Amino acid sequence: MSLTIKELLENKGIKPREEHLEVLDRRWKAMAQLRGDLDGVNIDDADIALRNIPGGDHVE
Amino acid sequence: MLSKNLAAMAVEELAPLIEKKELSPVELTEEILNQAEATEGKINAYMEVYREDAIEDAKKVEEEIVNGNYRGMYHGIPMGIKDNIYFKDKVTTMSSKIHKDFVSDYDATVIKKLRNAGVIFTGKVSMHEYAWGITNNNPHYGAVKNPWNLEKIPGGSSGGSGAAVAVGSSVASLGTDTAGSIRIPSSANGIVGLKQTFGRVSKYGVYPLAWSLDHVGPMTKTVKDAAGLLQIIAGFDPNDPTTVYVPVDDYIGKVTGDVKNLVIGIEEDYYFREVDSEIEKLVRAGIQKLVDQGAKVQTVKIPTLKYAEWAELVTSLSEASAIHHSDMLTRPNDFGHDIRMLFELGELPSAVDYLQAQQVRRQLKHDFRKAFEQVDILAMPTLPILPNDIGDDFADLNGKKVDLIDNIIRFMGPGNLTGLPALSVPCGFSQGLPVGLQFMGPAFGEAAILNAGYAFEQTNPLENKKPDLLFKA
Repeated sequence: MSLTIKELLENKGIKPREEHLEVLDRRWKAMAQLRGDLDGVNIDDADIALRNIPGGDHVE
Repeated sequence: MLSKNLAAMAVEELAPLIEKKELSPVELTEEILNQAEATEGKINAYMEVYREDAIEDAKKVEEEIVNGNYRGMYHGIPMGIKDNIYFKDKVTTMSSKIHKDFVSDYDATVIKKLRNAGVIFTGKVSMHEYAWGITNNNPHYGAVKNPWNLEKIPGGSSGGSGAAVAVGSSVASLGTDTAGSIRIPSSANGIVGLKQTFGRVSKYGVYPLAWSLDHVGPMTKTVKDAAGLLQIIAGFDPNDPTTVYVPVDDYIGKVTGDVKNLVIGIEEDYYFREVDSEIEKLVRAGIQKLVDQGAKVQTVKIPTLKYAEWAELVTSLSEASAIHHSDMLTRPNDFGHDIRMLFELGELPSAVDYLQAQQVRRQLKHDFRKAFEQVDILAMPTLPILPNDIGDDFADLNGKKVDLIDNIIRFMGPGNLTGLPALSVPCGFSQGLPVGLQFMGPAFGEAAILNAGYAFEQTNPLENKKPDLLFKA
């Protein structure tokens, strides 16, 4: 089952403006293109950076 | 002193005069307030001007200085502050309708520090609503205009800060930066903007846009002014768990202009791809000026940059939509049309998307760390395009019509995702509009990028040009 952007938002209680839907669709597809397949990021081996503190991540 | 245009002067020029009691802080504050009054009709940089409070504060500050209690570079300097930074008992609107009457019962840490340094607050300056945009075309309070060309955007979200500093209605200012909101308006208005290392400056008392990407930092006329302002606001804050115990550097002392043997990294694949040709020429010429002073250039590779835009968008959109989710359920019509659409978009990424973006971010940090093992700093354009017309959602890139937001934040996001420091300094003009040269450094390497910026600034890239409104308001 594939939900439209309108349905996805309405499921969360958000009522999108009708005139936004086309732009949202275009932007969402553009984001998917930017993501691609994450080829070369070695994502399977990557930790996460939720703790975004350079003192923790950079000063070693 | 009245023979000089005080509104055009930098803090580094004004401070010695104040210290020697040759310039009265009251006289300076009146001059800055008068400049605000004279330019507001055209620029619309201020949300609110605190004329009476500022004059009263200036009198107290003047008394302290006359009595021999001079506190340093920013003592007696009038500043307007971005309207998402809390002042005790004053309205802080975030330039929004929803928060139009919000009054904080405490000062943000950065405001407390500036008060202790003797800064005089002239008021709150405008911003893109909730800092979620780069045009400063605000539906509730009107568009802020670029002092170099009133038909152009000043950039955002700290567009009021950028325009006010450029036009002299604030001697310096503070901005916030989640996806370039300090550096974009600094480039667009021909001033200096510093987004320092994440954790270097407290965000306590600053309304968030996206918690893990937000920064507070200086927007000033000169690099030394930025160094001086960072010196005051930097440091650990027990009220902000993201600040870190790292000693605060001697930023002013390290801004010497000596760049001999400095190794400047150039990353060609991301930062010099799809750049306006005039901007590219100016930026490359700017780097050459540092080479002429003894710096060296080395190319570097940062492969994960190709996913930086995606990671920045997923992270910022998701975090911003989480913050405003409740108001999106109950009062969506109170948001401006543009940010409401971004909040809708931010509801779409899944938890998996968000976490994968954080994995990308981790890899990006790793790549940058590797690059900084080879070079001292990186140099690139601040923006790949020029500021566009107010109200236009598209920009011109070498004759091609491109999306404004996507392009203007393209070289910004990596600094926010990694938390690494980034500085924008003016490097010339294209079509009469200022262009910015950006330097990035390793974590807590603010001194190195400030020093490179200072060395470059000494080559007088703007040829002493200032907006006409600074003199003919």
